[in-house]
Amino acid sequence: MGDELLNLTIDGVRVSVPKGTLVIEAAKQAGVLVPHYCYHPGLPVAGLCRMCLVEIEKAPKLQIACATQAAEGMVVRTQSPQAKSGRMGVLELLLINHPLDCPICDQAGECELQDFTFQEGRPATRYSPHYAKRFNPVEDFGPDVLYVPNRCILCTRCVRFMEDVAKEPVLNVSERGDRAYIGIHSEGRLDHPWAGNVVDLCPVGSLLSKDFLHKARAWELDKTASICTGCSQGCNVTLDTRENVIVRVRPRSNLEVNRFFICDHGRMNYRWMNRGDRIEAPLVRRGGELHATDWDEALDFVASRMRGAGGRAVALVSPRVSTEALFFARELFRGLEWSGAFQVVMGEEAPLAGVPNLALRAERAPNASGAELLGYSREYAAAVATAETAAVVLVLDEPDIAVRTAGALIYVGTVLPERARDAQAVLPIANVAEEEGTYVNRDGRVQRYFQAKSAPGMARPAWWVFSELVTALSGGPGGHVGTAAEAFDRLAASVEAFRGLSYAQLGFGGAPTPVATVVPA
Amino acid sequence: MSVGAHPTPQPGTEEYQPVFVGKALEQLGEILTRYPTRQAALLPALWLVQQARGWISDRNMAEVAEVLGLTPAYVKGVVTFYTMYHQHPVGRHFVQVCTTSPCNICGAEAVVKAFLDATGAKELGATSPDGKWTVIEVECLGACGFATPVLINDDFIESVTPDKVSDLVRKYK
Amino acid sequence: MGYPHKPHPKETLVLSKHFGEADARTYKGWVKRGGYEMLAHALTMEPARIIDSVKESGLRGRGGAGFPTGLKWSFMPKEKKKPHYLCVNADESEPGTFKDREIMRWTPHALLEGAAIAAHAIQAEVVYLYIRGEFTEPWAIMEKALAEATAAGVFGAIKLYLHRGAGAYICGEETALMNSIEGKRGNPRIKPPFPAAAGVFGMPTTINNVETLAAVPLILKKGPAWYKGLSLASPKSTGTKLFSVCGHVQRPGNYEVTMGFPLKDLLYELCGGVPPGRTLKACIPGGSSVPILNREETESCLLDYEGVVEKGSMLGSGGVIVFDDSTDMVYQIMRLARFYAHESCAQCTQCREGTAWTTKILERILSGQGKTADLDLLLDLAENMTGKTICVLSDSCAAPVVSGIKKFKQEFEDYIAGRRKPLLVA
Repeated sequence: MGDELLNLTIDGVRVSVPKGTLVIEAAKQAGVLVPHYCYHPGLPVAGLCRMCLVEIEKAPKLQIACATQAAEGMVVRTQSPQAKSGRMGVLELLLINHPLDCPICDQAGECELQDFTFQEGRPATRYSPHYAKRFNPVEDFGPDVLYVPNRCILCTRCVRFMEDVAKEPVLNVSERGDRAYIGIHSEGRLDHPWAGNVVDLCPVGSLLSKDFLHKARAWELDKTASICTGCSQGCNVTLDTRENVIVRVRPRSNLEVNRFFICDHGRMNYRWMNRGDRIEAPLVRRGGELHATDWDEALDFVASRMRGAGGRAVALVSPRVSTEALFFARELFRGLEWSGAFQVVMGEEAPLAGVPNLALRAERAPNASGAELLGYSREYAAAVATAETAAVVLVLDEPDIAVRTAGALIYVGTVLPERARDAQAVLPIANVAEEEGTYVNRDGRVQRYFQAKSAPGMARPAWWVFSELVTALSGGPGGHVGTAAEAFDRLAASVEAFRGLSYAQLGFGGAPTPVATVVPA
Repeated sequence: MSVGAHPTPQPGTEEYQPVFVGKALEQLGEILTRYPTRQAALLPALWLVQQARGWISDRNMAEVAEVLGLTPAYVKGVVTFYTMYHQHPVGRHFVQVCTTSPCNICGAEAVVKAFLDATGAKELGATSPDGKWTVIEVECLGACGFATPVLINDDFIESVTPDKVSDLVRKYK
Repeated sequence: MGYPHKPHPKETLVLSKHFGEADARTYKGWVKRGGYEMLAHALTMEPARIIDSVKESGLRGRGGAGFPTGLKWSFMPKEKKKPHYLCVNADESEPGTFKDREIMRWTPHALLEGAAIAAHAIQAEVVYLYIRGEFTEPWAIMEKALAEATAAGVFGAIKLYLHRGAGAYICGEETALMNSIEGKRGNPRIKPPFPAAAGVFGMPTTINNVETLAAVPLILKKGPAWYKGLSLASPKSTGTKLFSVCGHVQRPGNYEVTMGFPLKDLLYELCGGVPPGRTLKACIPGGSSVPILNREETESCLLDYEGVVEKGSMLGSGGVIVFDDSTDMVYQIMRLARFYAHESCAQCTQCREGTAWTTKILERILSGQGKTADLDLLLDLAENMTGKTICVLSDSCAAPVVSGIKKFKQEFEDYIAGRRKPLLVA
C-alpha cells in the first residue's frame, strides 16, 4: 500500500490505482462493475464463487478480479469471449439448484443473481426438467433472520461476516460438495446485535429479514439517504419508503463511520417514524383552550408572548432533532437569560468487534454532540427545576417531559403528550424522515439526512419554525430561511464549531467539525 | 415455505457427561503441546470424542468448542466436512467398503452385498437390528491394488472377496 | 499383490528395497541397514548444500504435480524470521494410488529420515505428518517408528508429529492439508500467498509427498549424480518411481522402476497383463485425475513426466488403473465423477455444482435416458470446470470425462441410442 500509483487498462480505459488495489476495485474506477457474489469490500476475500472471472493479458488462464492485485501495465478484459463464457458458466451452475421463485422472493428486484443473469446469463437452463433441484427446508436462524437454503449460492458472505467482522462465528458451511448449506449449531442462535447485516450481505434471497418478510417488492421502494437515530454513532442509512411509509432501514456505506453495516437496534428503530397520532396543525391557547390555527397566527402568537417576556428562558430539547433546529431555537432566546438542556436515554453498548470505532453506543441519541456544540447542557434535571420559575419554557419534542412552569410553555413537537395540553402554544414539526437536516455524531462528524416522506398536515421542519420566529422577533438579520441548506449555512456562519462547513460540501458522506469543542454559550 | 431444521439427533434428557475429564483431558493436554494454536487440536480432539462415545453429538461439539475456545457452530462446520466423523450413532462394528472405480471393476459391489447380508444390516448406512453392524460404501480407501479393501472399525483388511465375508463377520461377533 | 513379493528383475529397487522385511520397520533394523546415517550427516551440513544436492539430483515431487523438489525448498526464506514448518503429505487418496501407504508400512524410518533431512534443509523446527484417517495400519507403524527414533534422539532439535485426517480426499491438496492441520475445514486456499511465504499457521511452509521424502536420504548417500543417472528417457525425469497398478491386471501392486520405463512392460511383464482371455482397453496412468489413455497410447507410453504428457495425459501420482475389454467405460467414468462430486469441498461454484451435475448426466445416460446433446453438454461443462477454480479437483473430474468421450464415444452413443441395455444406477 502507500502512495505508489499503478497504471493499468481495463476494457480499454486507463486507470491509476494505489498499489495493493484489487482488480475488481480498480475496475470500478474504469466504470466497470465486474459481476461477483462472494466478494464484498467489507469482508475478507474468499475467491470462491468464481463469478468475477476476467481475462488478464499474459495470464495463462482466466483470473478472478477479486483476488488479483492490480499491477503496472496490466491489461484487463472483462468482456472478452472467454471471460464472458466463463462467467456465463458460473451463472448457469449457480442457477441449476436455485428455485424459480422470484415472484415470491423478497430479494427480487434487488437480487444480484437476477441482475447478473439478466446481464450475461444463458437464456435457458440445460439442467431442468431432467434433474431435481436440491431441497432443504427453511430454517429459523435468529430473532430477525430466516434461512432459505434452496436459494443459497454458498458465497459465504454471512459466514465471513459473523466470523471476521462480528467475531462470533455462529454460522458455518456444513457438509461439502453440492450437499453443502449454511449451518448453525442446534443450540446456537443468530442473535448477535449486528446479525441483521447478513440479510443485507446476502446477494440472493437466502437470508431474509422477518421484519421485512413479504412486506414490499423492491421496485416499489423509494430510497432516501438518512442517518440512523438509534444512537450517537451516526451510522449512515437508507430509508426505504413505500407509499409514504418507512418499511425498512438498511445501511448506507460510509467508510468513516459505519463502513457497510448497521446494528439491529438501528435497523428496527423506524416504526415511530410512521406514527399516525401526529399533531397536524399549530395550536394556540385562547380562552383557556388550545385551538387549531394556521402558521401565520401561531407564529404571531408565540412571537408576541416572547416579545413581552422578561427574565429567564429555558429550553428543554430532544437530542434527536436537527442541528439547525437546535441552532435557531438557541437564536430565539438570544438576549435573554437562557439555559438549554437535553437528556440522553442510555442503553447497553454493543460494539462490532471487527471494525474499530463502530458500536451501538450506550448514548441512544443521534445529535447529543450537536446539542453540546450549540451550548445545550446535560444538566437536564437542573434545567427542569429552573423551568418552574422561568418566564418562557420551550420544550422541543420531548413528549415524556415532566415540566411545571409559572411562565409561558411553548411545546414544539411531533405528537401531543398529555402534559403539553397546558402549553400556550403547540407547534407541529416534521420528524427525521420528513425533513432535511444534519446531526453531529459522537466523533464530531456533521452528517446530512434527507427527506424520505411527507410530513402530516401542516407540520414543518423545526428549523423552519424557529427561524420564522427568529425573523418575526428580530426583523431577521438574514431574512427568511427557505431551505435546510440556508439554515445550515446560517449556523455555520455564526457558530465557531461549524465554521467553514457548507451544506453542499457535507454531501452524502458528511464532514468533521473543524472545532470539535463546545462553544461558550 | 415450511420452517424446519436439518435433522439433528435429539439431545438426551440425562445430564451431559463430559468427554474431557481424566485420561482424555490428559491426552488432549499432550496434543495441545504439538501445535501453536488451540484450534489445531480440533481434529485430534474430535477423534478422542469419537473413540470415547462412538459418534459425535451436537452436545459433544459444544464441549469440544468450549475446551478449545471455539464456537459450537464452527466445530460443527468442521465435523460435517470430514466423512469419518459420525454425526449419528452407528453400529458397534462399522464397516467401510471401498467402491471407487478400481475396486468396482474388481467386484466391490458383491463385497458390499455380502456384508449387508452377513451382518443383517440389510441397507447401506442402516444399523442391523441387533445394533452391532453398520455397513457403508466409501470412496477410495487408498489400497486399490488390494481390492477390495475394507475397514472394520480400525482394522484395515485387504483383498476381501465375497466368500471371505462371512468368516470376517463371525470374527467380530 | 501383498508383500513380501518377489521383485521382478526389471524393477529397480531403491525405495522398495526393504519392503517385506518386517525387521526394517524397527529402529534397530533400520540402523542395521544404514538408516539415519545420512540424517546425522545432514544435520552437520549447511542447509543450502542439501538443497543444492537435491536440485542436482533432478528429484521431482511424487505427489502428482512433479514440481522440482530442490527448487521448492529453495523458495523458503533463507533468513529465518519466523518459525518454518514442513508438512508431509501422507493423505494418499487419489484413486489408483497406494504407494505411500506401502512406504509407511514397510520403511517408516525412510520417511522419517527424509522428512528430518528436509526439515533441516528448509530450517523447519516442526514437521507434521498428515496421514489420512483411513490408514489405520500405516498410522500405527509410523507412530511406533516415530517413538523409537525420537527416543534414540536422532532428530536433534526437530520435532515430528503425526496428524490424522478424517476422511476428505481434498486434504491431499497442499493448502487444504494445511487448513486441516489448523483445525479447519479442508478448503484449499487461494494462492498467492504460496506456502513458502505463508503456509500452515501463516508461517513459511514446505509440503512434500511421502515418496519424495523417502528418496532424499538415498540421494544424499549415493550422490545426486547417481540419482540423476537413473533415467531411461527424458533427462528431466530422474530416479525411480513407485507405480501402483490396480484394476484388471493379474498381479496388481506396487512396482518400482526407473523413470522412462515403458508402461507396456510394466503392465504385461511385471503385472502379468490383463486376465486370461481379455484384452487391454484403457489405462489411467497417473491416478484418476488424469486423462484416460486408450490401448494404443498405453502400449506406446513411456513412464516419466514428459512421456505421459506426450500421450495426452499426466504421470500424476503414478497410480495406474487398468481396464480390460469387459469394462463399461461410461459406468466407470460415472464412478469417477461421483467420487469427485463426493469429495468437492463446496467452495467453487464450478466444482460444487459441476461435479454433481456431471455425475447426474452420466447416470442419466446409463439409465437409457440420455440424449446426443448430453455429450456436448458434458464437454461444455468440463470446459467450465477446467482452469477456473481454486484447486484442480474440478479439473480432475473433467479429465476422465473429456478423454472418455473422446476415446470411447461409441459406448456413450450406444447407451443413448438404446443399443445397450440401460443400467439401474443407484
